[in-house]
Amino acid sequence: MEKLTIILAAATPGADSGSIEWAAFIAQKYANMFLNATWTTLYVAVLGTIFGFVLGFLVGVINTIKTHPEDFILKRIFVKVLRAVVVVYVEVFRDTPMIVQGMVIFFGLRQSGVEIAPAVAGILITVLNTGAYMGETVRAGINSVDRGQEEGALAMGMSHIGAMCSIILPQAFRNVIPEMGNTFVNNLKMTSVLNVIGVSELFLIAKTAGGSYYKYYESYLVIAAIYFVLCFVFNRLFGLLERKLEGKSDYVLATEYLDND
Amino acid sequence: MSDAIIKVENLSKRFGEHEVLKKIDFEIKKGEVICIIGSSGSGKSTLLRCINHLERPTAGEILFHDVAVKNTGHALSEYRAKVGMVFQSFNLFNNMTVFDNCMSGTRKVLHLEKEECKSRAINHLKQVGMAPYIHAKPAQLSGGQKQRVAIARALCMNPEVLLFDEPTSALDPEMVGEVLNVMKKLAGEGLTMIIVTHEMEFAKNVSTRTIFMDDGYVVEDDAPQNLFTNPKNPRTREFLKRYMEG
Repeated sequence: MEKLTIILAAATPGADSGSIEWAAFIAQKYANMFLNATWTTLYVAVLGTIFGFVLGFLVGVINTIKTHPEDFILKRIFVKVLRAVVVVYVEVFRDTPMIVQGMVIFFGLRQSGVEIAPAVAGILITVLNTGAYMGETVRAGINSVDRGQEEGALAMGMSHIGAMCSIILPQAFRNVIPEMGNTFVNNLKMTSVLNVIGVSELFLIAKTAGGSYYKYYESYLVIAAIYFVLCFVFNRLFGLLERKLEGKSDYVLATEYLDND
Repeated sequence: MSDAIIKVENLSKRFGEHEVLKKIDFEIKKGEVICIIGSSGSGKSTLLRCINHLERPTAGEILFHDVAVKNTGHALSEYRAKVGMVFQSFNLFNNMTVFDNCMSGTRKVLHLEKEECKSRAINHLKQVGMAPYIHAKPAQLSGGQKQRVAIARALCMNPEVLLFDEPTSALDPEMVGEVLNVMKKLAGEGLTMIIVTHEMEFAKNVSTRTIFMDDGYVVEDDAPQNLFTNPKNPRTREFLKRYMEG
């Protein structure tokens, strides 16, 4: 009986309770909300990053397409227009803050009559932002692949796109994995700005939870811990993936062909 | 109709102000082995790269069975599939094993059945003595081994002509022999080849015709026994003299 009162006392801190107790109390009381918010943060970041990478690869590849005066005129015009669109897109998204992009896109869509759920808008904004940054990373990754790799492919009759897909991009992909890890972890944290358009991710929930007791410091301490754990775990996972992709350092000799000269 | 596989007509190439190739004319017939020799910067490699349009000629034509090669699109791909190329720096695909390297062209360009691709790969890897290494990645091989795989990869396409761009220049001296031996064997089997090389002994003994280039011109184009023992042009004579002394 005495034990129970102590726990209850810890669960409802009084005026003289410390911050740690309040933080523990808020974490417990709003456990469900925090869990849901963690889930929201995760899926906005994961989906936003994955589609952002796809967009980034597209942007990176478009930036490496070359045209020649001998090419069909429509192809040249098409490539020019495509590249212009890409340049404008990348500049606009790299030169404005994500929090402002969020507001402009979300309320812009609303004003033009498109009702879009905050979470969906959040994913869209993360995708567009990631794509703009990854485009540059992918371009650098492609450029770091030896020029001879493409020449080898072209010389056997592959097209530029064919060489890209089966030879250049797989190698560029390995080159950019560390940066992809960085971008994803960064996105995990950057989803916090999406609270301004009402995505119920961790930041918004901390604001709500903290507000009901005027314990903002303690409430944000809780999500700081959650962000830290998430990012820490994913950083380690990406490190593991990187090492895994380095591949085996030895190979098996095909002994069945050893004396077949 | 001529019986030339590839005919180079009036070919010029400039990089900016610098004219690297000046009105080149020559042709190669089936079964010929042409070695192109000359000092560095004479335009040998550029000529070879122009032949399969890795460099775009500034003027002139490359004719393949009397048809001008187009600069772009599907026609160019088809042409390149029939004209193989072996590079100084090997250019094996680093993300693939030896086996996959040898199947890349037959699968992705010729779209052959998987079994056919496999058997071609094994056959040609055996031919260059690299079959035991099918599971290795390029980074795990020596230069000579890489070049032999690159040759096997080119052979898998059943090319009508195989172009070699200084195939032994990036190799340690003790590996040059293994690659030249493979090329000698191919010449013996009747493969049509154009070889840019600094290996004079090889050119002398293996080629059916030798071309000497200097300053962007084809200076001399003759049978090796004539060109090496009795060069007509003073520039050829001087070059060979320097080479034999060095």
